Formats: sequence, structure tokens, C-alpha cells
Amino acid sequence: MRMNELFRKNSRATICMLLMVMYFAMPVVPASGNTRHRLNVFYAMAFEKVITGRVTGEDGTALPGATVIVKGTGIGTTTDSDGRFTLSVPDNAETLVISFVGYTVEEIVIGTQTVVNVTLRDDQKTLSEVLVVGYGTQRKSDFVGAISSVKGSELALLPMQRADQALQGRAAGVMVVNTDGSPGGNTTIRIRGSNSINGNNSALIVIDGLQGGDFKSLNPNDIESIEVLKDASATAIYGSQGANGVILVTTKKGRTGPPVFNYNFSIGAQQLRKKLDLMNAVQFANTTNDFRATQDANGPLPPRFTPQDIAGFAANGGTDWQNEIYRNGAMQNHQLSISGASDKVSYLVSGGYLDQKGIVINSAYKRYSLRANVNVDINKWSTFGLSLAATKEIGNAPPFGEGAGIVDPLGQTTGTAPRWAPTVPVRDALGAYILQHPSGYGAANSWNPVASALEPVVENNTARNMINTFLEFRPLKGLSLRISGGAIIQNTNNYRYFNSLTYAGASAAPSPGDAQVESGTYARYQNTNQLTYNKEVGRHHITVTAVAEQTIQNTKNYLFRGTGYADDITGVNDFGSAALVTGSSSVIKRVLNSYLGRVNYVFASKYALTASYRADGSSVFGANNKWGYFPSVGAAWSASEERVIKDLNLFSTLKLRGTWGITGNQSINPYQTIAQLTSIDGDGNANKYPYDGLGSSQPAYILAVPANNLKWESTTQYNVGLDAGFFNGRVNATVEFYKKTTKDLLLGRTLPSLTGYTSRIDNLGSMQNKGIEISIAGNPLIGEVKWSTGLTFSANRSKVLNLGELSTIEFRTTTGGGYNFSNSGRALMNLKVGHPLGEMTGYGVVGTWGTSEAEVARTFGQLPGDQKFEDVNKDGKIDAKDLKVIGQALPKFIFGWTNQILYKNFSLNLLIQGTYGNNLFNGGRVRLEAPGEGTSTALLNRWTPQNQDTDVPAFTKQSVRTAAALPSPTVTARLLSRTDNRLSRYVENASYIRLKNITLGYNLPASVIGSRISKLRVYVSAANLLTITKYNGYDPETSSFNNNDARAGIDFSNYPTAKTYMFGIDLTF
Amino acid sequence: MNTILNSIGHRFKTRPLFVLLLICFAGCEDLNEKPVGIATPATFYNSIPQCEAALAGSMSTLWGWYVAPGYGSGDGLSSWFSNDDQLEGGDLNIESDHASGLWTAHYKALANINSLLHAVKNGSLATYPPEEIDKIVAQAKFLRAFNYFYLVRMFGDLPLITEDTPDPVNTPITKRTSVAEVYDLIVSDLTFAMTTIPSKTDLGGATPGRPTSGAAKGLLAKVYLTMATAPLNITGNYAKAASLAKEIIDGGEYALIPNIWEVFLKSNKYGSEAMWSFNSSEDDPQTDENIGKPDEIDGYGGEQVAMYFDTTFAHQPRRDAYLLRYALEDNAPNPPDTILYTTAFDTGLPFIRKLYNEPYITLDEGFGGSSANWFILRYADILLIYAEAANRVNGAPTQDAVDAINQIINRANGTTGKEAVATIGMTMQVFEDKVIQERSWELCFELGDRWFDLIRKRILDKAIAANGLPTALVNFTPDDYLFPIPTFDAKTIGQNPGY
Repeated sequence: MRMNELFRKNSRATICMLLMVMYFAMPVVPASGNTRHRLNVFYAMAFEKVITGRVTGEDGTALPGATVIVKGTGIGTTTDSDGRFTLSVPDNAETLVISFVGYTVEEIVIGTQTVVNVTLRDDQKTLSEVLVVGYGTQRKSDFVGAISSVKGSELALLPMQRADQALQGRAAGVMVVNTDGSPGGNTTIRIRGSNSINGNNSALIVIDGLQGGDFKSLNPNDIESIEVLKDASATAIYGSQGANGVILVTTKKGRTGPPVFNYNFSIGAQQLRKKLDLMNAVQFANTTNDFRATQDANGPLPPRFTPQDIAGFAANGGTDWQNEIYRNGAMQNHQLSISGASDKVSYLVSGGYLDQKGIVINSAYKRYSLRANVNVDINKWSTFGLSLAATKEIGNAPPFGEGAGIVDPLGQTTGTAPRWAPTVPVRDALGAYILQHPSGYGAANSWNPVASALEPVVENNTARNMINTFLEFRPLKGLSLRISGGAIIQNTNNYRYFNSLTYAGASAAPSPGDAQVESGTYARYQNTNQLTYNKEVGRHHITVTAVAEQTIQNTKNYLFRGTGYADDITGVNDFGSAALVTGSSSVIKRVLNSYLGRVNYVFASKYALTASYRADGSSVFGANNKWGYFPSVGAAWSASEERVIKDLNLFSTLKLRGTWGITGNQSINPYQTIAQLTSIDGDGNANKYPYDGLGSSQPAYILAVPANNLKWESTTQYNVGLDAGFFNGRVNATVEFYKKTTKDLLLGRTLPSLTGYTSRIDNLGSMQNKGIEISIAGNPLIGEVKWSTGLTFSANRSKVLNLGELSTIEFRTTTGGGYNFSNSGRALMNLKVGHPLGEMTGYGVVGTWGTSEAEVARTFGQLPGDQKFEDVNKDGKIDAKDLKVIGQALPKFIFGWTNQILYKNFSLNLLIQGTYGNNLFNGGRVRLEAPGEGTSTALLNRWTPQNQDTDVPAFTKQSVRTAAALPSPTVTARLLSRTDNRLSRYVENASYIRLKNITLGYNLPASVIGSRISKLRVYVSAANLLTITKYNGYDPETSSFNNNDARAGIDFSNYPTAKTYMFGIDLTF
Repeated sequence: MNTILNSIGHRFKTRPLFVLLLICFAGCEDLNEKPVGIATPATFYNSIPQCEAALAGSMSTLWGWYVAPGYGSGDGLSSWFSNDDQLEGGDLNIESDHASGLWTAHYKALANINSLLHAVKNGSLATYPPEEIDKIVAQAKFLRAFNYFYLVRMFGDLPLITEDTPDPVNTPITKRTSVAEVYDLIVSDLTFAMTTIPSKTDLGGATPGRPTSGAAKGLLAKVYLTMATAPLNITGNYAKAASLAKEIIDGGEYALIPNIWEVFLKSNKYGSEAMWSFNSSEDDPQTDENIGKPDEIDGYGGEQVAMYFDTTFAHQPRRDAYLLRYALEDNAPNPPDTILYTTAFDTGLPFIRKLYNEPYITLDEGFGGSSANWFILRYADILLIYAEAANRVNGAPTQDAVDAINQIINRANGTTGKEAVATIGMTMQVFEDKVIQERSWELCFELGDRWFDLIRKRILDKAIAANGLPTALVNFTPDDYLFPIPTFDAKTIGQNPGY
């Protein structure tokens, strides 16, 4: 039954309905002192006038479910399926407010009209004209800098769990990498490459003006828009925090009208994208026997597997370890919001719940989120706003990646599962785990993958509260003073327990059991006092912004570890039963005092000039460098406003922009400029030594060198951009060129070690990034089938200009577990002056020696079938002089292609995204293809006299090798003994094109859903459905070592990215 | 609600200037850092426990280099003492970064010790009685002497930094001090320590890991013996070494552990033979027993014993106690087990059993960390110092000297008698050769002792030749008696010849 019918036909229902409307309208009762408004509630009982009308979009289509309300009252209705409405109003009603989600709000003065037809404009177009920029908003046409903007309404059409994933492929110059696929997993965002070597390269995230936000705990449904500030003119206003770009997130506010309820629900499943190609039990058993037969230096050894064993495997199959640890992970997402506004108060309350099970057994993630945004116009010249956001995340996943940094890879399920022999069962006949791999073949010493996944208790809790308030005064026309205070308070409680059935727990000292609690509080307080003056005189438009700001960050962290548990049950919950408890804590504080100003000047909407200046005083800088200064200037010329261009009738927009500015990176840890005695060693462990020789170790304090002149890393950036619109705005293109030079990079300066120190951190290096970004958007079809599409393309080139006294810095990755591609003096990832970031160094593999090459092989001390290495300098030896660049972790370019196709009530959204020209070092293959232990089918393709065209070396009998009486090998021993595995063989092309997201939606017609529901959309969606890549690992979008960008590009025991399928509904009423 | 908002609005409306004053709240928070969670040298060293924590820190910096990676092991290319004739792999191609990690670790330890001595000298402990202050200063000096003793033998002339040296970061050191002057400081520090630190008996086992007067005396005896040989060759110091060693022997505080299998037992880490060591404890076990163990039993497989060392080692129980020659079965009691290293281990070479610590250790324990100590000085060394020094002083073996070395030999032989004992009838040279040989066996793999014997006796080439290592002999030059100064430091203080 329709609402207007209700009103007419059933008086009791009418009263009930009215009471409901009044109830919801109550908080919307205007805050004005005007008594007439209050009286309106009572007048509402007497309808004296009936107004009818129709609400349509700009193209004339009906807007069913639009809200029509008498301004200042709770009286209202919604339009029917044809966009029509009938509303009885009091005769003194003055204004109708008509609103619809995604469209602008219109106010119509009633006067004597009884028929009111209204056309609403698409909100998106309106919004695109105003950009949120740092400390304010600006008309897009006046903006001089480089910015990428993504609207929340676009995101809503492509469901995803994380807002940062939404930037992938959509914003030119922004590279988003899902470094692992665990639920609630990690993402790195790099805007225009990486500026810093040892500092932070993450963009500053500002949520509604509050700096230091985090995408992880942001509910994507709450986002109104995301703007990415890329060039220095845009980011210099953030001074010492602006060098890596700034991401501004604006959350949704209530819109004028009665309350709008929105409920969103989706349910889905995740699936491993692909399995690694591994041998079955029979193949493995045979291969193992084949290898064992070659170990005959002291006479033949009996085979590992008997023919009976092998017959058994053939009959019963073996263990598929990948199947044992991977599953289809279910997820569901609920989202409910209520929003609305009167002319004085707007409000939005939104709650979300995400429950996700990962594709690895025993991994899951839950997120609860709540947001409340309230704005109140106190009077005509002052406004008050309050925004609260609270999230709680609970996540767990068995340890993966980063090698020994987390848990030794021998105990990481994602790394060991493919390595375990298919001949080994998960459990023995009695049902107990086979904890360690049987020795002598396969992944000896490594830990049962299923036990490694199921037995660790991991619970990571993060609760984040964000509060942001402001008072804004507009004492004079054009002048506003905004005083805001905000805080981000984050509490982390991570619990881990590795029991005696886990690698870490069994190897704990004292043994068994290893319990860890990490507890931390991070608080960031920000006070911003902003004065803005906006004046238009004739064709001159000037905006002046001045800000005094202060930020204080306090961090407290506690870490406790207990080992030696008699009882595995209580574990981390009972530190009292641990034989040994150790702990550490830290308290740090950093302060930033800032003053900044900006002037925007626009003449005749044609010429725009922006200049900004920021002074940052930071506590972490050295005593001589407490203050840093960050200027910027930029200019734009809207050529399309010139008559000459206008007359061409070609461009709807043509704008040329140019900017310059300096930004900083203050990612120096506090207290580095002070001499210290530290009891914490480089790995973050308590430094202890039992000096007395009694039972327990005592604290040991060691001097740390002060670096008293430290200052910010500074980036100078030039940007030139061109915006062009054609065909009346149906096609818009933007091209940006930039060049950034970062100097004063924080690097270690070597000290003579006789001083007691080896190096101290100093501002030494410099680095360059330059690139091009292109975005094109258009609406190729605008008829019955509407197609809008957007393409982004970005290419960045980095170059290390100076590393201080060094020409190379090697970046080691803590693998452990015998992978041997990163040791001192033998690091895969190296940073070299004159070379780009992300370069991999190693030995070239040019296949294997063929039988016809026996004589040449002999000169290297090798036999046919042995690995043939590239002798770069042709000196007949394979040694360190033959090292060369074998891979590049960073792509030559990245691209994204978004499409939306609308037909009647159907919508199809597609996001295709990818990278080109990047490599991954497939670290897992080092062990998966190791002779005598590997499980990879690559070993089936090993060299034999019949199969010589392969890069997998032969299994050669020791006796044959001895009999060949070869000269001593000229290949360095580390290559022969596999203690240096930096081989080009493991470097793979990781370019990919991926159907990142495809969503098919259907808006149920009003005739089905009735008028009480304004929108009901059902959709099916898939993420990562299709990926085209040559990469052989689980997924080309991965990176295992992310604490420094110079370590990117290694795939090692990581949690694979999954495919996701979802079904959802989106309901608005 | 309306009323409140109205009144706020009204108030602001009437006093807009008041609003503008709010901006003045943005006062500056102090930009000077005042850390509460970290200690700074300006406020530290104010109590005895703080000073001990700094001394613990100085040991801790070395510990990793000598014990955690273990004897002879380095990270990557440099096995510090692999060029002696005990370990496999040395070829006397000593690279420019050889032992630079040890240089760094010792100087780091010295920086911590000197910082403490500097603070104490300036009265940081003024509230303590002078004898308490002396005790901590004496321990610091003991540790300083220990560090310089190792440095001066490896690197020769040294940058000599004491508590009076200006901060070397801001006042760079450009010159090295001669070996003789370095020894002057070592002797002076140890003499002070020897007479100030309480003895093992005085401590009564309360703090068994700390330096004692006995340890200081023993170290000084070793210092004198070294000074009596190359490069200083102050032969007068033989007498001083002999006399100090004799005092220790006669003092009765120390004695050999009778059973050769029990010398390196964890339970004996503060036993009768222990004089001073790198300490390890149950709650932070750092001695790494995987070093010197083959891959087959979860070891790192890196430090292999040269095969000739095993074959020429007297075939006595000590050989099996100190060398890992068999694949051990679980909970293996004593060798001989069945399979010798030539076939048991992939490398075909024996490994080091001393580091393995427990003959009865269960193999499941083999995850690395061990709470065993790693001896820096033990009584067996004192007996051999005495034997060598007394022989020299007398020009021939004395009965006491013979008795001293025979204590070692008899324990090593058990009941086998496989190694001939020393006799009073030997010539000085024959006896001395036997002592040096005995040191090689008894003190093998202990903090480079063999290397230091080879260089102080200038017999590196002879030892290599005798042991049939032609590839190493080709590379021998007298420059090998000193390690290179680390490259970066050498830029300002100069390099040793040959590098």
C-alpha cells in the first residue's frame, strides 16, 4: 500500500504514520529560535492544500522514491514509480524540499502553485565541480595542482571490503598493491613512486581534516569522496608530511530531507586463484628414488620408496597439502545507515559489520564499525560539527611471509604446504600430527603445514576511535574561522600462542610453548585553527587561508613473551605458568607545530594562481634543524575561456597547469638525535647478559650514537598538467608530467668502528622520480544503453642519484630456512647509484649444458646436465664478477580501465587493472625445485640426454662425476652448493591484466517494490575473476617484504590473493 | 536544546572578538625532546647496578661475535680464525674485511667501558663508599684489558682509547699507539683488577659469572707469556707469567675436572676448572650449539674440523670428547658409535663437540640456544701457561712444569695412555713443542687460542707445512701475523702491511 493512499484511506494509519514521521523528525527540529517552525508541528494536523507533481532527472526519466518534504516540518511523502507525488500541506507552507540519493537537493517556493514539477540534477556532476583540497575546497576549474578524485557513489557500485582497494586502477599515479591476500591483509599505496629509502613512503591520509587516518579501519560505505593530492602545490600545505602525497577522505553527511535508511548486505566466498603445479605421490616417490640413486659416492644407497610403497601411492593417492590448508572462505557484510537533515541540522549514523573467513584454514577477520556525523548551524554565522568513528577489528591468520622475521619459514604453513611430500600423511595411524617432515628427503626439518595453520592461536585486536569536532564562525561576509580539535586513539592488543605442536612453540627456549602479547596505545591529537577569507571583486576572486596547527603523537607499546609452558591449554591467557617471561616497553612522543598560509587568486575564471607556505617545527629534528619550510606556487590558464579557443568550438575545457613546490618527510623516529643507552637491541629484543652468572640474565645497556643534526627529507617537485574536454564534455582527458627530486635522504653514515659505533643516520642521499599520468574518461553511449568509461595510465621512473659515501646499499630479506637469496654480501635486492629502485641482482642462468657442449662445460668443471650460468665477463669463471641485474620489481607502467554500462534497470560495472614490466622473484621455487627435496613438477622436466632443452639441471650420479675426473670447477662454490640462489631462473615476469572487479546489478522496478522502498538493488559481483599473467606463483600481486620499498618484488611464503564471489542487496527507504 | 544553542549563538553574536581570541590557544608545545622511556649517558652510571648493566652490555656486544655465531664462524665470508691449522677451509688469503666484526665488537665494548669509567671518574658514583667504587672500576678495567689483549694480538698497534680520550666521534683519532704501550695499559688495568676484585673464594659462589681476582691473575699470566713472545719478545716476562700461574696453582681455588667427558658439561660451567667465561643462562640461552654441528643433526654445518687435525690428534678419549666424529644416535651415551664422520656426515669431516656441550644432550634439544657457557679462561690454560713459562725461565723443564702438563695429558688419556707424558729429561725446545701441541689439543677452538699461539710463536708457516696444506702455504707471508685494520678505519689510522 502506498503511503499517500494510507494517508487518505485510513485515518488511524495516518496518525500512526505521522507519529513516526514526527519521531524521526524530532532530532531534525531546527535549532533556530523561530517559534513558527515549532508551531508547524501542530499546524500539520490541518491539511488545507494538496500539491501534486512529478520528479524527474535531467534526462526526463522519472525518479521513483524521491523525497518531498515541507521545509521545516516533518510533513512529506515519496514519489511513486512514475515519479509522481501528492501531498497535503498546511496553507502557510512556504517551501518544498525535494531530494533523492545521488542528486542535488532542490527547494521550491510553493506560492500559489498546486502542481510542482521538479527536475533534479545529478549530484556527481555537481560535486565534480568542487574539489576537497587540503584545508578547504576549491572549484575544479580554479585548481592548479594534480589531483585524482574518486566518488563514493562510484565505489558503491563495486563492492569491496577495503577503501584503499578502491583506489586501485582508478587514480592515475597511484599504485596500490595488495601485498598479501589474508583477510584484513595489507596494502601498500604509493603515489608517484617512492621518495625515501629508509623513511616512510606512505601517503598521509586525512579523514575529514584529521590527519593520520588509516584505511584499514574505514568503512568504505561511509565514504563520500576520496581525493588524492599528488603534486607539490597540492601537498606542500602539509609540509613535512606531504612528500608522499596526501589522500583526503570525506565521509558522508546527511542530506536535507526526512530520514533515509540504507541497508546493504552482501554474502560471498573466496577461493584460491590457482594451485601450484606439484608432483603427485607416485611422481614424487620416483623422483626421490632417482635422486637418491645419484648419491652413490660411497656405494649405492637403497631406494627411499619401495615398489610396494609406490604401488600404494598409485592406489591410494597421497596427500595434497595445498588442499589440506586452503579452503573456500565465506564472508558477509552488513551495513546500515540512517541519515537526513533539516535546514539546520544534518546527521548520519552508520554501522557496519564485516565477517570474513580467509582461504587458509584458521584465518579470519571481523570488523565492526560505527560512524556518526552531525553538523549543526547554530545561527546564520556559526556552525558546529561533530564526527565520531569507532572501529574494532579482530583478525587472525597463521604467520606467513617475511621469513624469520615472523616465524621461521620452516614453520609457516603457506611456505611449507607445497613443500611437504605428498607421500607423507597429515597424521599418523594414531591420529597425531606428523610434526616434522621425515628426514632424508623432501622438506626435511620443516613443520607440518596443517599443524602450522591450525595450532597457532593468533588474535589481533585493534580498536580505533576517531573524534573530530569543529566550530566555524563567519563573522564577516567571506571570512570564516574554523577551530577544530580531533583525536585518533588506537588500541592494539595482539595475542599469539604457539603451542608445543607448532614450530615456534616446540623450538621455544625454554621449551615448549611461546606466548606473546603486544599491547599498544597510539594517540594523535590535532588542533587546527583556520582563518579563510574569500572575496570576489569584479572578475577577481581571491581566497586567503591561514592556519596555526599543532599535532601531538603519543605512542606506548608493551610486549610480553612467555616460554616454557607445562600446560598448552592456558597458553597466552596464563603468563603465570610460563617458565620464563620477558618483556619490553617503549614510550615515545612527537610534536609538530605548524603555521601555514595559502593564497588563491583567480582572474576572470581564466587565470589561477596559488601560492602556499608552511613552517613545521618538529620535535624529532635535530637541535639545529627544528624548523622546516615548505613553499609552493602554481598557476593555471583556462584557455577554453579565451575567445579564440571558444571560437574553435572544439574544447569544452582546455586548461594548462604548472606547479612547483617543496615537501618533506619527517619519518625520523623520535629521540634519534639524543645520545642514549639502550637495553633494546636492533631486533627489538631486550638486550640481556647474565653478568653475575646467576640463573637469569640481567639487563645490558649499550650506547647508541646520537645523530644530532637530523632533519627532514625534502622533495622538490615540478608538475605540468593539461586538462582537455571535448564534445561538450563527453570526453575528458588529463595528462600530467612530473619530476621529483628528493634530497637529504636518511642514510647511515659510516663511522670508524673504533668509535664504538659503525654508523649513524644522517641526511645524505638523493633520489629522483619522474613520470607521466594520463586519464581519459568519457561517455561513448548515452542512449538507452549508457556506457561510461575511464582509463588511467601511469608510468614512473625512479633513479638513485646519491647514496652518500656508498655506491650500493644491499637490502637483505630475512628469509631463513635455507632459501639463501639474501645474505650479507649476497643480497638479491640492491640499491645502486644511477640505477632505479627495485633492482634484483644475481646470476644469469642460460639453461643447462647440452651433450654437445661437454667440452666447454668441462672447462668450467661441469658436466652436461649441469646448470649453465652466464659468464658475463667471459673470463671462463662464474664468480661475483658475473653478477648482473636479473629483474626489476617495479612496473614500467600501471593502468586501470573502468566501465559502467547501464541498460534499463541493469547496471554492469567492470574494473580491469594491471601492471606491465615488473618481475617477481619467485622465492618459493628455490626449495620447491631443489633436487632431492622439491615437489615441483619442474623436476620432472629436469635435464636428461633425451630432454636437453630445459633449465632444470640433471640428477647426476656422484660416481659419474668422479669418474669424469673434471678439473676443479670455476663456478663459485656457493652456486654449486646452492648457498647462493640469486638466479635469473627464479625471476619471473609478473605483468598482469586482471578483471579486478565485475558487478552486475539490477534495480528492482518501483512496480515491484512499491513506494515505501525507494531503491532495492540486487547484485552479483566477483573480484579477481580473471587474471592474465605469465607468473607461476599463486598470484602476481604480492610482496613479502614490505618494511622497505627497496625490498619489494619477492614472493616468499606469502598469503595468496584470492578470487572473491559475492551476492548482495542494497536497500534504501 | 534550542535555548542552549540560542544562548551560545547569542553570546557569540554579541562578542565576536572573543571568538577570534580562541585562536590564541594554539600555543607551541615544546619541541625539545624529553624522553621518559630511554636512558641517556648524562643520567646513567649513577648506581652500581647501572654500572653493572653497562658492563653486561660490553660483554653482550662481544658475545654475539664470539659465541652466537661461534668460534671461527662469521657472517658470510670471514671465518675469523679459520686460517689456523685446526679448521677446514683456511687458505691464508686474508681479505680486507677479515675479522672486522671482531674489531667492531671489541671497540663497541670498549666504548661502553670507557663511558662508564669516564662517568665514575667525574663522580657519578660519589654517594658510594670508595671501596665499592673501586670494585666496579676494577671490573671495568679488567674488561678493558681483556678487550685490548684480544685486539692487540689480532691487529698490532691500536687506537688506544681510555676514559680520558675525547669523544672519538667528534674528535677523530688519526694515530695508532704502539703494541708496547697498549700492553702497558693492559698490565696496569689487570694489576689493579687483580688486587681489587674479590676472589672466587671471597665471592663464595654468589656471583660466579663475574670477573674474579683469580681470573685477572690468570689473564695477566697469559698477557705476560704473550709479551715474552712475538712481537715484543720481552723474555723477562716468562718469570712473571710463571710466578702468577704458580700462585694460582698453589692457591688451590681451581682444579681440573677429573673426567674429560665432563669438562664442558653445563653443570660445570662454574665448576672447579672455570675461571671466566661468556655466560649464558636458562632464560636467555645464547650459546649456540648448532655451530660446529653437521646438517645431519640440525647444525649449521659450517665449521668443519680439518681432517688431518683428527687423524693426528692423539687417539685418546679427549679426541672423542672434543671432536664430533660420529653420527650420534638419539641420547647416545659415549662414542664410539658405529659410523665415522667420513661416511656419517655429508662433508666427510668431523665437527666440534666442545660446542655441543652435553654428551648426553637429547638431539631434540638441538634448536640452537644453549645455556652452556663458553670459556674465556680455564684452569687447564693456567697449567699450560705455567709449564711453558717455567720451562723457559729454567732453560729446561722443571718437575712442577712437567707435573702441570702431565695433569692435562693424564686426564686426556683416561686409562688409555695413548699420548706419551712429558718427562723431566726433555730439552727446553722439545718440552716447549709438546706444550704448544698440548695447547692445540686441549684448548682447540677456544676463542682463537691456537691462532694466537701460532702467531706469538711465529710458527704459522711451519704448522701449515707440517700439516700438509700446500695451498695455504703458497699464500703465506709474514704479514699474515696481523689481521687487516678494517678498511674504513684504516683510512684515518693507517693499514697493516700487506693489505
